Amino acid sequence: MTSTLDESPPPTGSLVRPSGRKRPRGGGLWGYSFPAAFWYALFTVGPLFAMFYLSTQSWPGLLSDQEWVGLDNFRRMWDDPLFWRAARNTGKQLIVAIPVMIPLSFMLGYYLTLKPRGHRLLRVLFFTPGLISITAKSMVFFAMFAPNGGVNGVLDAVGLEELTRSWTANPSTALWTIVAVDLWSGIGWTAVLFAARLASVPDEVYEAASLDGAGHMRMMYSVAYPMAKDFVGVMTMLQFLWTMFNSAAIVLLLTDGGPAGRSTTLSYYVYERAFIAQQVGYSQAIGVVLLVLGIVGLVVIRRLIRQDF
Amino acid sequence: MNRFVRSSPVSLVLRWLSHSLVWFYAVLLAAPLYYLISASFKDNNQIFLRPFHLPQREIFVTRPGNYREFEPLGFQNYSEAWGDVFLGQALINSFVVTVGALIVTLALCIPASYALARSSGRVVRAMERYFSVGLLIPGFAALVPAVLLAIELGLFQTRLFLVLAYPAGALPLSIILLTQFMRTIPRELEESAVVDGAGQFDILWRIYVPLARPGIATVTILNVLGFWNEFLYALVITGINRNVRTIQVAIPNLVVQGTTEFGVLAAGTVISIIPVYVMYVLMQRRMESALTEGAVKG
Repeated sequence: MTSTLDESPPPTGSLVRPSGRKRPRGGGLWGYSFPAAFWYALFTVGPLFAMFYLSTQSWPGLLSDQEWVGLDNFRRMWDDPLFWRAARNTGKQLIVAIPVMIPLSFMLGYYLTLKPRGHRLLRVLFFTPGLISITAKSMVFFAMFAPNGGVNGVLDAVGLEELTRSWTANPSTALWTIVAVDLWSGIGWTAVLFAARLASVPDEVYEAASLDGAGHMRMMYSVAYPMAKDFVGVMTMLQFLWTMFNSAAIVLLLTDGGPAGRSTTLSYYVYERAFIAQQVGYSQAIGVVLLVLGIVGLVVIRRLIRQDF
Repeated sequence: MNRFVRSSPVSLVLRWLSHSLVWFYAVLLAAPLYYLISASFKDNNQIFLRPFHLPQREIFVTRPGNYREFEPLGFQNYSEAWGDVFLGQALINSFVVTVGALIVTLALCIPASYALARSSGRVVRAMERYFSVGLLIPGFAALVPAVLLAIELGLFQTRLFLVLAYPAGALPLSIILLTQFMRTIPRELEESAVVDGAGQFDILWRIYVPLARPGIATVTILNVLGFWNEFLYALVITGINRNVRTIQVAIPNLVVQGTTEFGVLAAGTVISIIPVYVMYVLMQRRMESALTEGAVKG
């Protein structure tokens, strides 16, 4: 993980030190950072490396004995239709969620920086999904998507009864309920973050563009976007990571991966294999694949965002 | 809205369209939340038949000669949710875990940020790099090994393990944010202290900590929210033990296969959100800036 990410400079501006400032060497100060580094190594880095070891074990259950099986777990994955289904589902989820979320939330963020009427109310509303837990979101949508829930209630009320269905239990919609919750909470929340970033673009820049006859669309694309480009890249990477790794919780709460694996994502599959099927080694082999895909995805996104400089 | 842009018929239509789309999304965002709160005061019949109505006493005809009456429930769902999944204990557990993990986080990240902000030694630079790469490592990746670690340490099904493990996930962002903040503290302030013979710890404790209070507040808000809302680690570590499980783990137990009382579920969910919302109402500005800083600077 380290080597791939270290090759290029960190994605955010956060690590750029104010240059030219003298900073006398503080003797023995490294000792102050040691406990935190140790803690992080013990509870995050260590377990991360342990995952690679675990992926070579056959381990039926957290409390039972293990056995070295080499790369068997990875071979097994190749022949496991559920694994491929999970991989496809994660792919679908990413391909829909990211391209919809990032442009929409960027436009929405730009809209907020114009301070239109009601923007305070909008901000509070957009902020709310960032405050409430994944449990709360999932429970809200568990109720909304229930056979007698709010979504079907609305469809009934507007005369679209034929569209009503059991959303989370229907093979063709289960996965999309997960994506819907991601978009529901992600667009507004990301928009607030974009707005915070765009607030730093000076008014004069917009004024100059408007004197040249630029409309909002044009300003968004040729003024706001170039100035916030790095941040768009960072948000894309973060949303990618969140969607890819954190879907386990919401899948677990909303659909249990069902029906018949139709809404099983890779991250949920890691969870399901470890804690429900009690196949710890196999689960961690999938975890290794997920981690590798995550790193590859980050590198690809970075390339895509950088290339048209 | 129209600060700089000239109007033409096309742009007027576009503007109207964009306003409507934004407010359409706002309604989409608000509707489920309204649904949640109104459902928490209704029973299943009311929720199913009148999904978006306010809870009220109401008589209506289902078939000629056949009518139903809805009784207002008051806070009955709330007390049922409270009793069904032992929310009192769950709230205490969440509180203990959140406060405990916060104390550990601050105790680790304040000295570390102090070192990172003041030293340019090679070890410290490497540490900074280590934590900034850590920003990109999702906690989920280490979930299963962390459970094994908990078992190994004899801390499986304890709140203590969460108190110890949560800070690890929180450290990279907390340290990066606080380091940036501490770098803005002018070094002249410590010079007189150095002349007086103060050691590193005195400088940290008497000069940096008081001056870095806004930065510490940001880190505190971000982490309190993160710890309170965390679900998956809490589930696998404390899941089946109702004496130690957190509120996020307790709430989903209100879902009963086939016979869920949606009103009770909604009430439980509202209870789990209330502490966060109280915090938001009390310090809206601070919280908004903390959360956006967390993402924008991190």
